[in-house]
Amino acid sequence: MRVRFWGTRGSLPVAQRPASIAVKIARALMIARGRKFETEAEAESFALTELDFATHGTYGGATSCIEIEGGDDDQAFVICDMGSGLREFGINALRRCAEGHPRVYHFFLSHLHWDHIMGFPYFRPAYESGAIIVIHSGHPDAEAALRRQQEAMSFAVPFDALKAHIEFRRHSPGEAIDVGGLRVTMIRQTHAGDSFGYRFERGGQAVIYSTDAEHKPDEMDAEGDFETFFAGADLVVCDTMYSLADMVSLRQDSGHSSNIVAVDLCLAGGAKRLALFHHEPSYSDEDILRMHDETIRYENVVRAGRPRLEVICAYDGLEVTL
Amino acid sequence: MEWGLRNDGQRLIAAPTGRVDEESWKDFSTRLNAAVHEAAGASLPLVIDLSGLEYMTSKGLRALTMAKNEAKGAVAISLAAPNFTMRRILAISRYNMLFPVVDDVDQAT
Repeated sequence: MRVRFWGTRGSLPVAQRPASIAVKIARALMIARGRKFETEAEAESFALTELDFATHGTYGGATSCIEIEGGDDDQAFVICDMGSGLREFGINALRRCAEGHPRVYHFFLSHLHWDHIMGFPYFRPAYESGAIIVIHSGHPDAEAALRRQQEAMSFAVPFDALKAHIEFRRHSPGEAIDVGGLRVTMIRQTHAGDSFGYRFERGGQAVIYSTDAEHKPDEMDAEGDFETFFAGADLVVCDTMYSLADMVSLRQDSGHSSNIVAVDLCLAGGAKRLALFHHEPSYSDEDILRMHDETIRYENVVRAGRPRLEVICAYDGLEVTL
Repeated sequence: MEWGLRNDGQRLIAAPTGRVDEESWKDFSTRLNAAVHEAAGASLPLVIDLSGLEYMTSKGLRALTMAKNEAKGAVAISLAAPNFTMRRILAISRYNMLFPVVDDVDQAT
């Protein structure tokens, strides 16, 4: 299985500003300390190998959208959420379709908040006749949400002008869905209006998509359900928007989780890899890198003889092959 | 996890030892909430002596939050004498911003 991250930011798209780029360049020059590079490729190699990610790269600013690829015999694209990262996926998908990939898209929506659906009006395959789009959701009003954001007061092109065949399917936790060679199950999560996490399985491998899920202190008794849902997963993509202290105080009831809760759930479930996801929009690249480093240290401390949980940090453009 | 509780006349001092993790957090939470009520009844602050604690996971930390909520502002709760690991966990979780943390139990008020 393969997972591509097209949008990893939480709540609101963000973009780098000139000042933050200038800081990255200045830091890189200081670390280079006058080294000379004969070619641009040599300089790029230095950047990628000797500079930290926050200096040579960026975690990106598109909102939630990931693609899950089941294997070589893919009959359909499988995508979680339609955040602003969906636009980039759509462009990429058109290229792959031109090379022969079936024009079938299965979306699994965590919920219907704006940052998770805002990319759909910019999803170019939706404007193509012959494309088939199936939207899976635990919410009964997914169609209403997508239609509403393309009403005249919000967007220039009405939903009914989209040329693709679009259908909506509602599912419930406990139900197993077979799509694109993947077996999909879902879990209800704590978020305003509820959200749903998904488990994608194929050939003994499993990927979890669990974003916009709050794990409240007074609901800890129910966390066993998540530990079971995460059990043995090869990759858990998890909402890690806040520090735990923020989650239980300033951001209480905001519907989001913490990096260390994600580690605990993954370790308890015996998951192999955790991808930090749904980054707080006010966080700089340095903030996210620090959070990543701290999460690795926390996992190291509380692992207690269990198999190591690899902690990676999702960024726009990351591709993970299991 | 083992649990100790003593009253030195100025403070109620709770002393968990071992680990607070998936296995032990409920016991920790139950005893901690009972200590909050005892401290409230005696009009004493509650000091949690962490010196014997190896570490605490997020469930233990959230149990601290539930105890703070249980106290409803009537009982001051502080954390004392965390080891290096616990100090690191308190920093990573930013719980050192939610609770006063002191190096020594005698410093806690």
